[in-house]
Amino acid sequence: MKNERVIVFTLAIIVVLVSRPVFAHHSGSAFDLEHPVTLKGTVADFVWSNPHVFISLDAKDDKGNVEQWRVEGNSPNMLARAGWKKEMIKAGDLLSVTGAPAKNGRKILRLVSVMLANGQEFDGQGFK
Amino acid sequence: MVRIHFMGLVLAAALASSPSTLAQTAQHSGPAKARAASGKPDFSGVWFITEYRRNLLPKEDPPFQPWAEAVLKKRDLENNQADPDTGPDPTERCIPPGVPRIMLQPFPWEIVHARDRVVMIFEYQSQVRQVFTDGRRHPKDLDPTYMGHSIGRYEGNTLVVDTIGLNDKTWLDPMGLPHSDALHVVERVRRTDHDTLEVNYTIDDAKAYTKTWTAQKIFKLKPDWQIKEYVCSENNEVR
Repeated sequence: MKNERVIVFTLAIIVVLVSRPVFAHHSGSAFDLEHPVTLKGTVADFVWSNPHVFISLDAKDDKGNVEQWRVEGNSPNMLARAGWKKEMIKAGDLLSVTGAPAKNGRKILRLVSVMLANGQEFDGQGFK
Repeated sequence: MVRIHFMGLVLAAALASSPSTLAQTAQHSGPAKARAASGKPDFSGVWFITEYRRNLLPKEDPPFQPWAEAVLKKRDLENNQADPDTGPDPTERCIPPGVPRIMLQPFPWEIVHARDRVVMIFEYQSQVRQVFTDGRRHPKDLDPTYMGHSIGRYEGNTLVVDTIGLNDKTWLDPMGLPHSDALHVVERVRRTDHDTLEVNYTIDDAKAYTKTWTAQKIFKLKPDWQIKEYVCSENNEVR
C-alpha cells in the first residue's frame, strides 16, 4: 500500500501569489499565512474531530522523496457549514491542498482550501 | 455535574425564549413580540464575525506598558519557533479564551434574551456568558475567572456591558495581547441594520496599558445556523 502510494504520488509545491492583509505589528501565528503553498499527494489518514480536522498527506518533495504532511482544517462544525462531509476524504484519495506552512519548518499545513480528485473545491476554514 | 445542570438551564432558557428558527421568524413569535413591547433592542440570533483577524487592533499598536509589549514580543517569538498547536497560546491547550477574545474566535455565538440577563452561547469551547441586566452591581471581592462578571444596561438601542473580575491567564486576542487582572472591558453592542451587529470594545487596564483604548468588531446574523457542540479536548492525542 505504501509502495503504491510512493509510485502514485505526485507532488507540486507552488508558491501561490495571493495578496494577504498586512498585519500591524507581529504575525503572531505559528503558520506562515503570507506564503501559502499547494501540495498534491495521497491521503494516508483523515481524522474528522475537534478541535481540527486532520489530513495526513503523503507528497513528494522536489527531490522525489515522499514526505508526510499534517494538514489541519477548522473544526468539523465549521467545515460542515462550508459543505464538507466526513466521508468526503478517505485514505488513498488523491488531493490537492493549499495552505500556510509552519514557520518552524515542520511539515504541518494550515488548510486554506482543498481540491478533491473530482475537481470539487472546499474552503479549509469556513470563514474569511 | 454543576456545569451540566447550568448548561441545561441555559439551553432551557434558550429554547423558551428564542426558537431556533431565530430572527427571521422570531419577529413573529411570542417572545419577540414581548421583547418589542418592552422597548428594548432584540439581538436574538446566531452571530458570526465578518472578518477574522488575529489582532483586536488590526492597524496600530495599543498603548502598551513596557512589560506588556515585552510579553507580546516574547509570545510572538515563541509562536514563530513552536510547532503549531503546541505554541504559547493558552487556547491550544483548551484553556478558555476569556473576554473579549471569546467573541473574536472564528466560530458563531448566539444571543438569548432572558428576563434578567442576556445569555451568550459560544460554539467555541461550548462556553456560556451571562450579562445581568436586572440592575445588580458587580459583587465585591470577585474571585477572578475566565469570563469575569458582566452587568448590562440599555442606552436606547445599545446594550452596554461592563465586565470585571477577569483572571490574567488569557490573551486579549489571538495575536497574544496581554492583560492583567485589573482588566475592565466595556462593550457597546448595537444593531446597525437587521443583519449586522456592531460591538465597540473599550479596554481599560492600567497595569498593562498607559491609557484606555478602543476596538470595533462587526458580526453578521446567520439565520440558518445553529450553535453546535464543540469539545476542544476531543482530539488532543493527535496534536
